[in-house]
Amino acid sequence: MGSTTLSKLGKIIVLTAFFFLIYVIASASITLLDVVVGLAASSVVAVLVAEILVKSPPSKLIDLRRWGWYILYALHYFTVIEWRAHIDVIRRILHPKMPINPGIVRVPYHVVTDYATVLIANSITNTPGTVVVEVDESRKYYYVHWIDVISTKEEICYEKISKTFEKYAKRIFD
Amino acid sequence: MLVQDPYSVLKLAALIIGGVLTVVGALCDLIGAIGLLRFPNYFVRLHAATVATIGGAVYPLFGVAIMSLACDFLGVARWFISAISFLTAIIITLTAPTGSHAVARAAHKAGVPVHPKACDLLEEDRKRGVVK
Repeated sequence: MGSTTLSKLGKIIVLTAFFFLIYVIASASITLLDVVVGLAASSVVAVLVAEILVKSPPSKLIDLRRWGWYILYALHYFTVIEWRAHIDVIRRILHPKMPINPGIVRVPYHVVTDYATVLIANSITNTPGTVVVEVDESRKYYYVHWIDVISTKEEICYEKISKTFEKYAKRIFD
Repeated sequence: MLVQDPYSVLKLAALIIGGVLTVVGALCDLIGAIGLLRFPNYFVRLHAATVATIGGAVYPLFGVAIMSLACDFLGVARWFISAISFLTAIIITLTAPTGSHAVARAAHKAGVPVHPKACDLLEEDRKRGVVK
């Protein structure tokens, strides 16, 4: 068996497990019927989408350390980063003088895989106050609409907007 | 209130946390709507819309997921409600920014005004020809 076949099989198995997990969570019960139907459906879907969905080697998907960083990131993101950004934008909305200073700035990124790029872009857009408008993949820049432009310097924008996200994204996907 | 056993303390905590998240979500929705009306242009309004999607949809769904676990009168249905709310929250977190990216990029390409602005480096780079 060649290495490509092996990696393809690995992708399918990992994806089947992942889809089956979602199926079990969504149906919230484990009976024999659930297991049989769930496994059948998820394996069919996995075979269909494996080559499109998974571009990196499947060993990354079962690396527990990456999952640990991912869960840590989710906790940090939802409990601290989001609240801070929400309170900042809510203050700007309700303030009588509406203190905004919007503009589109360039933010460099240093990750390699597409997944990490998307994770950082999604995180930037999901925090109120910053929206990614365009990605330049060849020069590795995000163009970010920022509600309060402190500086147009790339280092300061990177420091303020995407440094935390990139630190986690590198550990999760790269 | 006299607390009988640790289980009921956990249930009370879940109800309070879930309730707080849901109420905060409703407030976020209201403030997001006010922001949509007050902010001066399309791109700044996107920030107010983000307050309403994450603060006003994802957090209440997490709240419902926590709260329904403590509601014994729902019977088996509470596991369904909790699991579906949790999954929906995660799916919104993944898909909402994708839509924002698409509309923001399309609006900027179509020439929707960015005024008032401190700077617009994307437009400058488009004029210089480094970004298509």
